[in-house]
Amino acid sequence: MTVVSTLSRTAGRPRSRSSAWRGLLYIAPAMALVILFFVIPVIVTAWMSLHNWPLMGAQRWIGINNYVRMIHDARFLSALRFTALYTIIATIAIFAVAFPLALFVEKQRRFVGAYRTVIFLPVVVGLATASLLWVWLANVDSGFIGPLLIALGITERSPNLLASFDSAFLTIIVMVVWKIAGFTMIILLTGLQAIPADIVEAARIDGAKRWQRFRYLTLPLMRRTIALALIISVTGSILAFDQFYIMTAGGPQNRMISVVYYIFNQSFVSFNLGYGASLSIVLLAILVAISIVQLWLLKVGDEKA
Amino acid sequence: MSRAAAIETPLEHGRREDTGGVQLSGIRKSFGSLDIIHGIDLSIPEGAFTVFVGPSGCGKSTLLRMIAGLEEVTDGLIAIKGRDVTDLDPSDRGIAMVFQSYALYPHMSVRDNLAFGLKMANTPKEEIERRVAAASAILKTDHLLDRRPGQLSGGQRQRVAIGRAIVRKPDVFLFDEPLSNLDAELRVSMRIEIARLHRELGNTMIYVTHDQTEAMTLADGIVVLRDGRIEQVGSPREIYENPANSFVAGFIGSPRMNLLKAKRVGRQSLTLAGAMIEAPFPTDIDDAEEEITLGIRPEHLTVGHETLAGRSLAATVDFSEYLGGTQYLYCQLADGQAVTVEYRSSVPVRSADPIVLSWSPQMTHMFNGDGMRIKPTH
Repeated sequence: MTVVSTLSRTAGRPRSRSSAWRGLLYIAPAMALVILFFVIPVIVTAWMSLHNWPLMGAQRWIGINNYVRMIHDARFLSALRFTALYTIIATIAIFAVAFPLALFVEKQRRFVGAYRTVIFLPVVVGLATASLLWVWLANVDSGFIGPLLIALGITERSPNLLASFDSAFLTIIVMVVWKIAGFTMIILLTGLQAIPADIVEAARIDGAKRWQRFRYLTLPLMRRTIALALIISVTGSILAFDQFYIMTAGGPQNRMISVVYYIFNQSFVSFNLGYGASLSIVLLAILVAISIVQLWLLKVGDEKA
Repeated sequence: MSRAAAIETPLEHGRREDTGGVQLSGIRKSFGSLDIIHGIDLSIPEGAFTVFVGPSGCGKSTLLRMIAGLEEVTDGLIAIKGRDVTDLDPSDRGIAMVFQSYALYPHMSVRDNLAFGLKMANTPKEEIERRVAAASAILKTDHLLDRRPGQLSGGQRQRVAIGRAIVRKPDVFLFDEPLSNLDAELRVSMRIEIARLHRELGNTMIYVTHDQTEAMTLADGIVVLRDGRIEQVGSPREIYENPANSFVAGFIGSPRMNLLKAKRVGRQSLTLAGAMIEAPFPTDIDDAEEEITLGIRPEHLTVGHETLAGRSLAATVDFSEYLGGTQYLYCQLADGQAVTVEYRSSVPVRSADPIVLSWSPQMTHMFNGDGMRIKPTH
């Protein structure tokens, strides 16, 4: 096909049609993967969500009943609330740590390569592995944090960090920041490095102080990078599961059940596959909506720089 | 005589005359153990258009950036209008800079680009508007005020960049190769524009370029730099007609000056390409033979046919370039040394033609073994 098309270049129309085909050919592998692992599963999930679908036994068409049930499901609503809280706190914490780190490692200074590597290192550890590690760190007797607090004279008895909501939540946030901030830092770093040095110099001559340069140059010029980092961070937080499953098992008092955790419980503990599927579809819709709002707020794709 | 004649070097250390321009004394710059600028003393009078020129890596941009305050000074003093600014912030020095890459803020409209510095200085709104309007009137960029830099052509961007400098009402304008990113035609018109700007504003301007045409046409005073040192300071005419050494002689002028290896024999004669010729002027020396360089510009060589004893040389034309009004002949002397000749006659000259070159002694320079100019003794 493509060979023929290159031979018949002279005619205008055939060429544009064949180059369209060639374009399709190039994106075909990616499209195949997306269709196989995203589009088809989503369609199947949407189909399942319209059924009462037990693990064993016959499934039954129930229309939108699963979605109606959701509205009155107090546990789902509390899972949504908790996920929202977690997403907001985690994202703020990650950015609060990652942005100064990015500014720190952007400057050429001694050992900057080592700093970047060390800060990025936790990112390559799996989230489940990191969770297990922190379960151990937070262990009352054989852990690290409790004995450290005693050694520093801050507490007399080693606290059980994962036993109360506040301390468990704090521990998980610290773990996630330790694990994720390096990744966000690298994304932000690429945005920082994309700002031409002479623009910053022009601003210095224009009398902009450090904070003003950050406010009027760095932030606006990094809008796209920030949007990317924000969407990755928010999406990751909304989909959080491993850390709650491994570190607290949804505990204390089941107050740490995230949405994905709740979907997992419904699908694979209670075997309400149809209900779990409908919850997943709603979660997908929420994620898409939030991403659109973020892109719109940051006006990505608005103008060429 | 031009104002640049007042440029003096070296300046007495510690004592600055109360001129209003820019004074550099003992300026040094090193990056780690690498010395870039080796002690520069320079006094630029107020209102002068001074051009730093030199080959790439000569430190001219670094020197400009030190005056701007973007680069720290390792040693020495910088004074602007009699005020020591060596350790001041760039914004407190009374300077404005135009960058080669324009360095406009891409996310702001032209208006905001122009106003940014004034906004940072908390200038009242009406004052900002007035000054932005005045600057864009000077540069004829009024119709561009609401556009973004990305929507402008290269020439328009450079206008805006210059406008941003004007708005600041600086004591000194600094230009860092501002025309290098423009195409040839635009470069000429912007060059004229900058010259006009200097005439209208009358500010001190320091301009860095590697383009000697820009240097010659714009400057009141040229500072020729090489390897972090000043080779010569003077008006374009002084630099062109009385180069201090063979480097300046070869660097300024296009096509470059012919620098021919010769040997001095006695006070009056030279041997060049196997022939004995008269020295352009008598010199007092000991009678030892000395290697020297004879410098003759292409336009000062005349093509003839008759050999004048001691005053002409035989050469062969390698090839020629026809430029319309004039023609450049690239020739070889008997010993293979290359000579470029500017040829204006309509009598055609072809490759491989033998010709005879003569010259006027007044327009001929001699440089000693160290490249320094040998001055005629009176």
